[in-house]
Amino acid sequence: MRFGFAVQVLGRPGLKSHDSRRWQNEPHLSVSLAYLRDILGYLRRQNIRMYRLSAELAPYVTHPDMPRFHGQIDECTVELNSVGQMARGDGLRLSFHAPMTAVLNTPDETTAAKTAAELNALARLLDGLKQGPEAVIVLHIGGVYGDRHAACHHFVERYHALPPATRRRLALEHDDNRFSVGDIAWIHDQTGIPLVYDHLHHRCYNPEKLSTVKALRLCLRSWPDGVRPKVHFSSPSTAMHVIQQRHPITDARMRLLHPPQPTEHADFIHPFEFIAFLRTAREAALPDFDVMLEVRAKDLALLRLRQNLTGFAPALGEDFLDLSQV
Amino acid sequence: MGRLFDDLDDLWTDPALPGEEEPRVLVAVMNDPRALEIARSASWYRIPVRRAPPRVAADYLAFYQTGAFGSEERWAINYYAPIRRYHIVRRRDLLPEEANHPRANDEYYKIEISPLESLPHPIPSRRLRRITFIPTTLRRLLNAEEINDLWLSDRVKAELWDSLKAQGIPAERQVNLREEDETYHMDFVIYCQNGRLAILCEGDDFGLPIVKETSAITDYELTAAGWTVLHLEPDQMSDRPQEALTHIHQVIQELGGLVD
Repeated sequence: MRFGFAVQVLGRPGLKSHDSRRWQNEPHLSVSLAYLRDILGYLRRQNIRMYRLSAELAPYVTHPDMPRFHGQIDECTVELNSVGQMARGDGLRLSFHAPMTAVLNTPDETTAAKTAAELNALARLLDGLKQGPEAVIVLHIGGVYGDRHAACHHFVERYHALPPATRRRLALEHDDNRFSVGDIAWIHDQTGIPLVYDHLHHRCYNPEKLSTVKALRLCLRSWPDGVRPKVHFSSPSTAMHVIQQRHPITDARMRLLHPPQPTEHADFIHPFEFIAFLRTAREAALPDFDVMLEVRAKDLALLRLRQNLTGFAPALGEDFLDLSQV
Repeated sequence: MGRLFDDLDDLWTDPALPGEEEPRVLVAVMNDPRALEIARSASWYRIPVRRAPPRVAADYLAFYQTGAFGSEERWAINYYAPIRRYHIVRRRDLLPEEANHPRANDEYYKIEISPLESLPHPIPSRRLRRITFIPTTLRRLLNAEEINDLWLSDRVKAELWDSLKAQGIPAERQVNLREEDETYHMDFVIYCQNGRLAILCEGDDFGLPIVKETSAITDYELTAAGWTVLHLEPDQMSDRPQEALTHIHQVIQELGGLVD
């Protein structure tokens, strides 16, 4: 089992996830790959073996009005191979999460074409990095558009229209208020796309009333033989939001206190919730899987979780996990 | 490589941390006037992939010029330039006129840069010491008075550095000690008449905070190499800075005072 985190590194400030310069300053994939190379060195030193790449690794690479950026992937064949070789050598599992703007089942053809172009580019990057089939692009179904069943059908149609090289990189995740594990399971039956179980999403939106074990097993079984599934785990935030405002009439300063939404991610992983989740998976004899931690404290949350598991669940470490390697 | 994560709790509190978006600078060593001419006229600089530092990526590249340059520019950083691209190429393709070089097949980062810009004022190295790569920020580069001002550090080390400077103690920061296959980092060193003082700040790491990545050197190893070792705890500098400075002064006196 490997633990991973997404994109931004907090443990060593200044390790940027990609070249974030605006188009006027001519950002480039080659610069992003240099940053990625530095991040991979950090991950190696911390024994972190799973990492979600920034979806902006190749800046503006599919922007329809900026063709001068379109050739970046071809221009960086050697550099992609070099970084990919480093990742493979470290047993590092890389992945992407499709950007929020990528909506495959949209009724708008322009948006759909843009989404397809973005997914194609991300797939080409993973191919350029020469990553195996466990390196996937995770995406959501998209919008409901008034008819959930039709929305799922539309996703399937658009999925089949993608190039095979892109399709084989995709994995589908349910969400916290529109499409459930049951919905993505239906799409899996139509397409064979692997499914990513997200624990917090499932707790927030589970109209089929599937138990954790049933939902998790269903998703784990959707992956091809020989490819280790991945799941997402995050704890719900319980932190109060304090908002500073001025009173609209008196102009007096005031503080508004807002409770968090259950769908909000916490900074760190709740250790006891996570331990219970792992124990549940273990007792159900589910296949091995990797865990992407979707947390605001990023790599620091991963390192803290390792500490917590060592302290609070050493038996898990002895029987189930190599705590120095997760 | 030692790894300690016992100071995660300090993460959120240090206002001295540079922001994620602050432009980064890699200071590289320029020990050949021809390389500077290439940077100026052909707009690139090379680093062997095999010997590249842990951090090679940055927004700007700056050049520390060694004694190979004339008295006007040597032993100082005089120029910097925005980075445009990184490419990996073989030496023979970078320098085709040296196709028979023993390292002709070695891979190099070819760092393409924009035209060189002069710094507002050169950043000298006060003491001749071995300098390799220094990751820093653009703000520090533009404001540094000497090389030691470039090092990124946590608040405790930054305050100690400021105090030592204010008291005229010529310390050197981030000095490396090579022992067999390991490189150890000493936070501050002070050269005295009868010895060398190594100051090690506890509770933090070389560079920046939180996640420690370097091996810890033992007092025994340092003492065996001829160093006098002084450990400072984080709360000593933050809560009792005068006590820590008095301690440093005492050790300097015991070692015969500062080198002239």
